Amino acid sequence: MTPKNYLYEMIRSELTWAVGDEHVQTNDADKLGHSIDYYWVPECWHDRGEKPTPPDFVVHPGTTKEVAEILKIANTHKIPVIPWGGGSGSQGGALPIYGGIVLDMKRMNKVLEIDPVSMTVTAEVGINTQHLEWEVEKAGYSTMHFPASIACATLGGFIAHRGTGVLSTKYGKIEDMIMSLEVVTPTGEIINTLPVPRHASGPALTELYLGSEGTLGVVTRAVMKIHPIPASRKFHAFLFETMHDAMTAGSKIMTSRLRPCVIRLYDETETAKLVKRVLGIDRKGAYLVFGFDGPEKIVDLELEEACAICAKTASEDLGTEAGQTWWDHRYKFFYPPYMFHMPQAFGTLDTVATFSNIEKVYWAMKNVVQENFPQATFIGHFSHWYDWGCMLYARFIIDEPPKDPSEAIALYNRIWDMAIRAAIREGGVINEHHGVGLKLGRIMRDLYGPAFGVLESIKKTLDPNNIMNPGKMGFPGKGI
Amino acid sequence: MHIEKNLDVINACRFCFMCRHLDPVGNVTFREADTPRGRALICDRIRMDAANLSNADFIDTLYRSALSAANRFHCVSSYDETGLVLAARKDIVEAGLAPVAVAALAKTLEKAAFSVKGKGRALYFGPTPELYKGCATLTGGDPGKALAVLGFEAASKKVFARFKKAVAASGCKTLVVAEPSAFEFLHGNVPGVKVVHCAEVLKDQGVKKARARKAVYLESDFLKNYCGNPSAARDLLAQAGYTLLPFGTNTEESYAVGEGAVVYDTLYPELAERLCQRVYALAEGLAKTRFITASQTVKDTLKKYNPAFDVITLEEAVSLSQA
Ligand SMILES: Cc1cc2nc3c(=O)[nH]c(=O)nc-3n(C[C@H](O)[C@H](O)[C@H](O)COP(=O)(O)OP(=O)(O)OC[C@H]3O[C@@H](n4cnc5c(N)ncnc54)[C@H](O)[C@@H]3O)c2cc1C
Ligand code: SF4
Repeated sequence: MTPKNYLYEMIRSELTWAVGDEHVQTNDADKLGHSIDYYWVPECWHDRGEKPTPPDFVVHPGTTKEVAEILKIANTHKIPVIPWGGGSGSQGGALPIYGGIVLDMKRMNKVLEIDPVSMTVTAEVGINTQHLEWEVEKAGYSTMHFPASIACATLGGFIAHRGTGVLSTKYGKIEDMIMSLEVVTPTGEIINTLPVPRHASGPALTELYLGSEGTLGVVTRAVMKIHPIPASRKFHAFLFETMHDAMTAGSKIMTSRLRPCVIRLYDETETAKLVKRVLGIDRKGAYLVFGFDGPEKIVDLELEEACAICAKTASEDLGTEAGQTWWDHRYKFFYPPYMFHMPQAFGTLDTVATFSNIEKVYWAMKNVVQENFPQATFIGHFSHWYDWGCMLYARFIIDEPPKDPSEAIALYNRIWDMAIRAAIREGGVINEHHGVGLKLGRIMRDLYGPAFGVLESIKKTLDPNNIMNPGKMGFPGKGI
Repeated sequence: MHIEKNLDVINACRFCFMCRHLDPVGNVTFREADTPRGRALICDRIRMDAANLSNADFIDTLYRSALSAANRFHCVSSYDETGLVLAARKDIVEAGLAPVAVAALAKTLEKAAFSVKGKGRALYFGPTPELYKGCATLTGGDPGKALAVLGFEAASKKVFARFKKAVAASGCKTLVVAEPSAFEFLHGNVPGVKVVHCAEVLKDQGVKKARARKAVYLESDFLKNYCGNPSAARDLLAQAGYTLLPFGTNTEESYAVGEGAVVYDTLYPELAERLCQRVYALAEGLAKTRFITASQTVKDTLKKYNPAFDVITLEEAVSLSQA
């Protein structure tokens, strides 16, 4: 939309009536901040001197009713609404690719209730997750949601992307933590999902919104589980000659039905590169760390069992200290200069599969990247573990991608496409916790097959004017 | 351009979200621009195309920063995002683009004149000379820190030269400074003179222990995030009988209502008020608790928007104990 035309001014007036003057921004500083999220493509675009598409309006609603008002205005004018939490999503999900209204949710940041009997917290979902954790801790509990982006992202962003934290292996992903949601539908109705997540009253509506990436409505409130702060949390690390040996030990821990809060296994390349650089642990092989938490007696017992499993095949017992070091520095991997940065091209090929398939997925992706893109380095670690399998956090890095942004993006997309399709062929699912966004929308139809039609029908019914985050998650865009 | 000397910070912060939760202004405006990432992106745009330096929205955002340095303090690599903003402000001023309110304030600050009263073993610079027996007193305005923060480097140097002249004329070899911003500015920068913060001196003088009381010590941006967090202020309050309560939800965030930007309330009263509202809200569960700050400016700002808020300075806490 061209600023300074009268329709633009009319829409701006309507928005300011809905939320107040100071909560509608049209200035260049805010538009710039909202034109780039954590997706590599807009970062590259900016880095190479190009201007990523800005929104027309940045609106900060303060209440659910205000959100509903804004969606009604957007429906009248048929303009896109893009919910924005912290902008830390890596899939371009929050980018205003067609301009429109960026609905920045951060003003809706209140903790509304902590229920110590049921152990839940009710909060507005624009709250920064570190702030949420601090408030819950102040009351003597923890959300146990510790993603590396805890300080960057909002609760709503995690709900929208089905995000996960470091302790997911015991406490679950966000979808295991959420009890119920308040949502504003695309046409502006305020609805609540059922108050408990386990029931037999039809399909789970809460689940529909978990992972919906702002395409089916705006999540405004959530009731989330909280936990007592464990009396003890202990870690241990082992080194294995090969990633395969380490994977066998890790899967044995899970299939023995021990309950670690975390397991993380780094392949040989990542051990040599990142574990050395960030943690100062300089070894050849595959580094595996795990932890348990809870009452100390139980922690000690489980830790002993897990250590016994690993000791059978490990090349070195690195001890508790090398495990604790990892925990203490778990977020350091994501700070500059430890994180990859421009002009490098890099992408997180986040995939999840069963234990039977996960190594096949790893090798399929690694081979495809190495054979077709010799300029790329492939590294990976296995992050979030389940009774049946785990998540592969694989990455490709190109130190010197083309300088021309169009060429760089074409190369980037090609690598993604080939790697992800190779993963899908081996039973992998894209993806485990980063979401789809703009980045992977084109693959959704292949991933789901005919089932994608069901999702498309839901989208069409709920959002007849296609105002909610068009062009994301494989749903139709607006045309350019 | 000055910002080009901070290229490492631009490159690190422009795509980094890791400390956004600690930006005091961002936490009350909720604006993406009011975060280290937002400001670094702006600086990057200016670096790529100098014409962007005259963008009024960019300029306003760079002046809205509270410069608390909580972000740098938290950053594992200590990238100096406040340093980047200060460099950008210098570029703005040198290009003659300072906003009208900033330029007018600078004109007033430039007029600071300093005078010394009395003679003594040390020279005291602050609002409570009666606490420092046997010290000469230095009065006048800001010693140049505020001008430096606003980007007026040359003017800051001129004022500072006058300040140093007054110190030299006193013949004192020790300068006791009350306001943390002035302390940070002067510390190690006045040749031949040892600059100490008033808390250290008062602690060494010894304070009478009054009846046991509870209080919140509001950490100073300058002492905590710029000066290595010396323990003197807390030790002093312990001597005076205060048990310090934790405040806020965490120990990383700045609750110093714009102290780092020195003249924040003058330039952005509506934002300063919002920063204060956050402190009042967090203080709600602490009825009848006294707040103590090392900074007169912080005290004045907190009092301005809620006269009933019980906040005193460190020096006032000491005076009350002596009484
Ligand atoms: C350094 C770093 C480390 C990371 N580590 C992790 C990690 O450990 N685990 C993890 O899961 N992710 C991680 N991420 C990715 C990112 O933090 C998550 O994807 C997070 O869920 C994004 O939240 P956000 O609030 O920033 O959302 P945004 O990026 O603003 O938005 C993401 C999507 O959610 C939608 N959305 C946002 N709020 C709402 C709402 N209220 N209602 C409906 N839709 C909404 C947006 O439209 C968009 O589609 C990391 C990112 C960074 C930068
Ligand atoms: S100061 Fe550090 S943590 Fe904050 S944005 Fe910059 S690099 Fe990231």
